[in-house]
Amino acid sequence: MLAVIAVVFVARPFLRDPSPASDRLDELAPEARERLALAEERDRALAALKELEFDHRTGKISDEDYRSQVGPLRRRAAEVLRALEHGEGARHERVPDPGERVP
Amino acid sequence: MAYLGRAALLLAFGLVAYALVAGSYAAWKRRRRLAHSAQNALLAAFPVTLVAAVLLLVALGRRDMTFVYVWQHTSHELPLGYALSAFWGGQEGSLLLWLLVLTGYAGLAVWLNRRSRELIAWTVPVFGLVACFFAFMLCFVSSPFNVQPAAGDGQGMVPSLQNPYMLAHPPLLYLGYVGLTVPFAFAMGALLSGRTDERWIVATRRWTLAAWTFLGVGQLIGAHWAYVEIGWGGYYAWDPVENAALMPWLAATAFLHSVMIQEKRGMLKVWNMVLVALAFNLSLFGTFLTRSGVIDSIHSFAKSSIGGWFLAFLSLMVVLSIVLIRWRLPLLRTKTRLESLVSREATFLYNNLLLVALALTILWGVLYPILSDAVRGETRSVSKPYYDFFLHTFGLPLLLLMGLGPLVAWRKASLRSLGKTFVAPFAAAVATGAVLLALGFGSSWPGLLAYTFSAFVGASIVFEFVRGRAAAGGVFRLIARNRRRYGGYVVHAAVVLLAIGIAGSSAYQTQRERVLKPGQSIEAAGYTLRYSGLKGVKGPNYTGFRALLAVSGHGERFNLSPGENNYPIEGQSNEASIYHDPHSLGDVFTTAQIAKGNSIDVKVFVKPLINLIWVAGFVFVAGALIAMWPDAVEQRRLAARYAAGAAPAGI
Amino acid sequence: MGSSPARLVIALSVAAALAVFVVYTALAGAGVPQILPSKVHHYAGKDVILVGTVVATRGDAHTAAGMHLVLRDPSGRARVPVVYHGSVPDLYKVGRVVVVNGKLTDGRFLADKGSLSTKCPSKYTPAKSSKA
Repeated sequence: MLAVIAVVFVARPFLRDPSPASDRLDELAPEARERLALAEERDRALAALKELEFDHRTGKISDEDYRSQVGPLRRRAAEVLRALEHGEGARHERVPDPGERVP
Repeated sequence: MAYLGRAALLLAFGLVAYALVAGSYAAWKRRRRLAHSAQNALLAAFPVTLVAAVLLLVALGRRDMTFVYVWQHTSHELPLGYALSAFWGGQEGSLLLWLLVLTGYAGLAVWLNRRSRELIAWTVPVFGLVACFFAFMLCFVSSPFNVQPAAGDGQGMVPSLQNPYMLAHPPLLYLGYVGLTVPFAFAMGALLSGRTDERWIVATRRWTLAAWTFLGVGQLIGAHWAYVEIGWGGYYAWDPVENAALMPWLAATAFLHSVMIQEKRGMLKVWNMVLVALAFNLSLFGTFLTRSGVIDSIHSFAKSSIGGWFLAFLSLMVVLSIVLIRWRLPLLRTKTRLESLVSREATFLYNNLLLVALALTILWGVLYPILSDAVRGETRSVSKPYYDFFLHTFGLPLLLLMGLGPLVAWRKASLRSLGKTFVAPFAAAVATGAVLLALGFGSSWPGLLAYTFSAFVGASIVFEFVRGRAAAGGVFRLIARNRRRYGGYVVHAAVVLLAIGIAGSSAYQTQRERVLKPGQSIEAAGYTLRYSGLKGVKGPNYTGFRALLAVSGHGERFNLSPGENNYPIEGQSNEASIYHDPHSLGDVFTTAQIAKGNSIDVKVFVKPLINLIWVAGFVFVAGALIAMWPDAVEQRRLAARYAAGAAPAGI
Repeated sequence: MGSSPARLVIALSVAAALAVFVVYTALAGAGVPQILPSKVHHYAGKDVILVGTVVATRGDAHTAAGMHLVLRDPSGRARVPVVYHGSVPDLYKVGRVVVVNGKLTDGRFLADKGSLSTKCPSKYTPAKSSKA
């Protein structure tokens, strides 16, 4: 009985949809992958800004360190947001991280 | 009933084999329905395995001696709770527990992440591969459903296992060991699918934390069990089987830290893959160690036939991990660099290196007997001095880093900023060290350093909370908005308590042993223990004696009664008697054996601060729960990120 | 702009760890030999860990004379007499495999006090039936 239920459950995708229009497994298009990479960059940049603000408010970072870091981080976040909005992706616009190695 | 159990296991094997084969093919050829079908097979494997598990539990509960496994591990006199716990008390049962937990975890993890179709398509066969191995072992090599003609009574359970901890320690360890399969499967799935974004980390973050927590708590419970039950006065013997749980825990600790760097800076992608593979393979290695008999341990000694199978599977998984990481190296490389050696990323990197170094030196110590036998033809082993040396060498700097890390900002911190935040914890540490030195704690320099560094870490954590509370407008708000960070600080506080407890109870303990006649006394660290005589005891399945000791010292009076229990079937068991001092948080620990007539050989350990170790366990769990607690805002942000990114091709 | 210091840090750390390791092994020696009764005569006078099956036992480990036991190779015939003082583990009995530290002196193995330990009867042996 258990075996029958298990087999039916395993076969369910074929039983429910015996002749599908497409049996292709979803995959991210290259544009979608770039958008995802940018979304992750955006979240990293925004989180870094949030942490910087918090560390500054709690006195962990001096005013001088704060000023030297906040500018590049804000620019970085703005660039990534712009790239995401315009859907340009990294193919068209190189958006380097402030910590990125310059070749 | 045994027939049903065998049938259930065969069905489970068929399902996970299908998940492996069909899932691999479906992912490779991008067949949607076949991938879904493989996923369903993995999901179905859990209830089927559960049927087999329930059947074994029923046989154990009934003491059905037609089951060889039940006969081997129980007896009619054994209380029901322990009879049921024999489920994981033997090889076959513990393999079934592995499979049960694995299929449960795998099914739930895959179902919760079913919308990441591309990633899941490759994760399912990885789960299938691991589950296949255990199911194969259970079906064809080491079955818990072998039968025999009904026997009169069973062989019973080893007395030291007849302890309430038997109900908690092994299952918690398994929830930890097996749980490390989840991040591994998702990581390998990410490599196979070429999805090197952070989806796999986001999907497995809480799973990893949960597995790590279970493994940590399981080890602490095991340590407490050894302490109260075995009677040698210690809680960790650097036994290979104990080390087998510690090594993956250390690797997982390193992973939990470095994965934060990947999330925040996009760095260390290769290193994280290596760490997650290391943690999983070490957990497999630990499982192999305890079953093969290849390393002498007081936990097991007989060479088991399954050792060879385990070694082969472990080798396969190591090779698979290396090949996949090497194959996807170009996708994993990033251009982001470490900006400063004085940054939180850098301290996490140092902490990683120390954790991995400690794990590898422990591994070396565990393997040393085999290696020396292979190279020199002579089995040599290392013991406490070896492990203590490396625990001090790597562990003390790790403790210090736990205090430094929170003081340092991400990306880079100027020495001036660092100096400002550093002053108060440093002053606390120096003051503590000076006071302790004046009080005579310099007798053990590792102990003194452990206390001093603990003061530094404790002070830095307190200042983090104080500063953060002022900025956030309240402690609860602070923690609620920064769960991972402050949950992590609570876990660090637990480690500080652990370090203080370990230092106190080992570096500063007092041990005495003497044969006493009634009326005689022994003294230890300001306590006097006077022996008055013996008393007989009787339990459901044992008889025994207790030595009556009247104790006075440090302004207190109390009684202790160490002794032994004699189990007719299973043999003898030591019963330690422990006094927990509520003021000093230390213990007076005693054991007794009959020397001759009414004389006893009594051992006394006075162990300062040892109870901090057990308190640390509760604080550890609290910190882990805070760090794991879902944040609705973050959940919505992540869901939006991956929903947008997961749009199918062409739409 | 310059390569990442991360690789330098890692390389230096690995070198430091290896240096610590080499120094330790050189100073502390490389482990204690773990041997069977058949091999103990090759290590006369040296500290070893002796592993064997108890075939005979008499006396009291808590008295001055100590407990006298005989250990045999678990899968062989060679035997060695052992003199032991100290606490005796719960599971000790004739037929059990034990581990004890000490050194061979004048044909007798003088065990370190309190070093006797037994192995847990393995829960991980292959299942044997009651008829076996």
